[in-house]
Amino acid sequence: MTMLSVRGLSISFGGVQALNDVSFDVEAGEIIGIIGPNGAGKTTLLNTISGLNRATAGQVSLDGVPITGLRPTQIATLGLGRTFQMSQLFPGMTVLENVMSGLHRKMRAGAFAAAFRTRSMREEEQATAEKAWEALRYVGMERFAHHPGTALSFGQQRVIEIARTLIGEPKLVLLDEPAVGLSVNRVAELDRLLRRIRDEKGVTLIMIEHVVRLVMGVCDRVLVLNYGVKIAEGKPEQIVADPQVIEAYLGSEFDAKRLAS
Amino acid sequence: MRLLLGSRQFLFLMFAALAVVPAVANPYILYICNLGMLYVILAVGLNILVGYAGQFALANAAMFGIGAYGAGLLQVKLGAPYFLAAPGGAILAMLIGTVIVFPALRLSGIYLGLSTLAFAMFSQWVLLHWNSVTFGGGGFPAPHLDLSPLPIGPDTGIYFLSWLVTIALVAFAWSLVRSRIGRAFVAVRDGEIAAQSLGIDLLRYKALAFAISGFYAGTAGALYAPLLGYVSPEGFDLFQMIIQKSMIVVGGMGSVMGSVLGAAVMVFLLELLRAFKSTQEIVFGSILIAFVMFRPRGLVTLLQRLPGWEEPLSSFDPRRLFAPAASEPASSPLGASPELADEGRR
Amino acid sequence: MMMFGYLLASGITTGALYALVALGITVVYKATRSVNFAHGDLFMIGGFIAYTFHVMWGLPYVVALLLAVAAGFAIGAVVERLAFRPLRDQGLVSLLLAAIGLSFILKGTARAVWGGKGDFIPFPPIATPSPISVGGILVVPQQLIVLAGAIAVMAIFAGLFKFTKLGRMMQATADNAKAAKLVGIPVNRVYVYTMAIGTAIAGSAAVLMAPITLLYPDIGFVLFIKSFAAAVLGGLTSIPGAVAGGFLIGLIEAMSGGYISTQVQDVSSYIVIMLVLVFMPQGLFGGRALRRV
Repeated sequence: MTMLSVRGLSISFGGVQALNDVSFDVEAGEIIGIIGPNGAGKTTLLNTISGLNRATAGQVSLDGVPITGLRPTQIATLGLGRTFQMSQLFPGMTVLENVMSGLHRKMRAGAFAAAFRTRSMREEEQATAEKAWEALRYVGMERFAHHPGTALSFGQQRVIEIARTLIGEPKLVLLDEPAVGLSVNRVAELDRLLRRIRDEKGVTLIMIEHVVRLVMGVCDRVLVLNYGVKIAEGKPEQIVADPQVIEAYLGSEFDAKRLAS
Repeated sequence: MRLLLGSRQFLFLMFAALAVVPAVANPYILYICNLGMLYVILAVGLNILVGYAGQFALANAAMFGIGAYGAGLLQVKLGAPYFLAAPGGAILAMLIGTVIVFPALRLSGIYLGLSTLAFAMFSQWVLLHWNSVTFGGGGFPAPHLDLSPLPIGPDTGIYFLSWLVTIALVAFAWSLVRSRIGRAFVAVRDGEIAAQSLGIDLLRYKALAFAISGFYAGTAGALYAPLLGYVSPEGFDLFQMIIQKSMIVVGGMGSVMGSVLGAAVMVFLLELLRAFKSTQEIVFGSILIAFVMFRPRGLVTLLQRLPGWEEPLSSFDPRRLFAPAASEPASSPLGASPELADEGRR
Repeated sequence: MMMFGYLLASGITTGALYALVALGITVVYKATRSVNFAHGDLFMIGGFIAYTFHVMWGLPYVVALLLAVAAGFAIGAVVERLAFRPLRDQGLVSLLLAAIGLSFILKGTARAVWGGKGDFIPFPPIATPSPISVGGILVVPQQLIVLAGAIAVMAIFAGLFKFTKLGRMMQATADNAKAAKLVGIPVNRVYVYTMAIGTAIAGSAAVLMAPITLLYPDIGFVLFIKSFAAAVLGGLTSIPGAVAGGFLIGLIEAMSGGYISTQVQDVSSYIVIMLVLVFMPQGLFGGRALRRV
């Protein structure tokens, strides 16, 4: 069953072709890695899928539903979750409140119910808080529930973002560099967490990642972008042997070293 | 839900004290307390819009005026009874307030502020010059509250009506910020992109925040008309806007308690300033500057230090909000430039 | 035709003053990304200082002008250093409220020092009030003096901005404050100079304007909002845009006042702000888009 289908996706910003005719499919239950040198268009690809950027050409469908041109809110409601490269936790909320806001679209209470604190509103609020605690326990962050989100380390913030996304029961989650800045041990924990999310929750994952160990360990397939073009797609071990990929990375020495490590 | 004992007791005591004011106070004190309650309504409504939903709009004084004019004119021109005219004025202010959401979809920060300020000045101009409807610059006398079968005078009557309405509106705001609505407001304020990716509709929640604050301001206006017994454009000018803005900053942005506190302090301060006569502007200006310099998160931070004091959605620092850099398109982590988006982190 | 010529002359004259005030708003905005709400009040104080020197102490007009400019420079520097710099990272709301506080202090000071509430202070004209004909259009000589003065101030500023080291540092700070700091530009000092220069320009505008209208303590906000409309028309970051916007607002006001009604004249700048910000946020002269991405 195809969870995400991307066909001929292109986008340009002021004459710069940031994505050029990118196509790929993601099966339900897969974990897909997206790699590529800096500026290859990886984040642009995720932004375009989630509706933050408007594609110049091409189609995207999520679980069989065409989502091209929909607004990000609508796409989220159809079951697309998203975490960001720079933490996007809401600084004005505690960790628990942040995670609770992830259930927003599944909740019903309107302004009147909220203002009058109706019984159903209170019950819903109670249930949401319980689910949020559960989600925090799932990712091992419950001890921070009442801390302001932005008081935590970047790595912890990203894990809480994952919990905030998961609580809304998405079908597919796009992760933008979840491991950036994590220590080796933490990367291993994240590796286990991502597998559990796939295995226990049945969530399909697509992640941009620079930490090659994580990509190799956890991803079923890897997609390589360079200058907005998909240059390779395949199993991790095929990818590292692909001459085109090595070529692309040699363009930037720093990343070549990373790939080799 | 957590228990919110400290702030609840505080509010309870305050409204209990306000309930006995008519029995013990002279008419001047009664009027000031009544005015104070209307300012509480205004500040709470404005804080929902600016402090919680993060929409830096400067048109609240206009909504206050529209509520007062609406309620007054419905009585004077159409002969509607007060208890129909007052909600009419409040709803009119709510509708006009909601229209301002359209600039808010395209603008933020200072641009939203100044375009809504221009809108407020424009509405004042309409009040001044649309003589056939608004009676122009001179204004018009609005009927006092008449509860005639009941043995309650107009001053006491409007006082207790304001008291009831204020309690209800503070309680509504109190509940609202403890719900998914409050969280959605803060999400829109703190990160539009993350909010959208969680399925929070920006248009709906911005419009809701504008509608609520318009309704609050309109309600305050509808109570102000019979309290003063007169409606004229001067009451809803720039100075009124400044007072309202000052209340939420002095009290604490993004805090219902802060709005209550700010309103009380400002009303007290404005009365106190009369003593300074010729230097009152200098004193007022200096106090404003002193507040933003020395207590930038508002007076409510003093209360938040009390043990047992808890308030939701309050791990908030205005330094992060409307910071000049935040309105820079280029600094958005998901900015239009693909290079920036991919490389911003390294 | 008579009427049109008269409106044209008066529109250009007031426009020149709006342009000067808008220039100050734009220069400060470019550098600090914040709009100084008290800019109009700083203008007002400049005017009153010149009044003191010229009318009360009898100094020549040009000397009073120079002294008011110097005073504006000093006041701007002090305000930036004492009030705005500590609040720079606290965001819009704090800066706005501090500026409002400053505005009250300035208005209160003006009332306390120069007269009672609502006082309008006449400033004697420095040329004969009888109109002369310039190319078939009747012009009051005072208007020509105002226009010439405004153009001179703009030219001096343009030269300062283009040809001096300070001008280049201001430009660099405006483009990218962080990068400017990295290459060793004393960004904080540049902010002080920027604010000082912006206020000095406002002071010069006040002295030029005083002889053709009246000075009063509450003139600040009205002038601020009109000049802000001019700056917005110019895109808020473009210096030539601010100048052009100033003239345009002056003409819009004069024409709407002359051909529609004086009531519409009062409100035209508010309408311009609303329309331009909502529908054309980059301004008429292609400044940077103000809209958030």
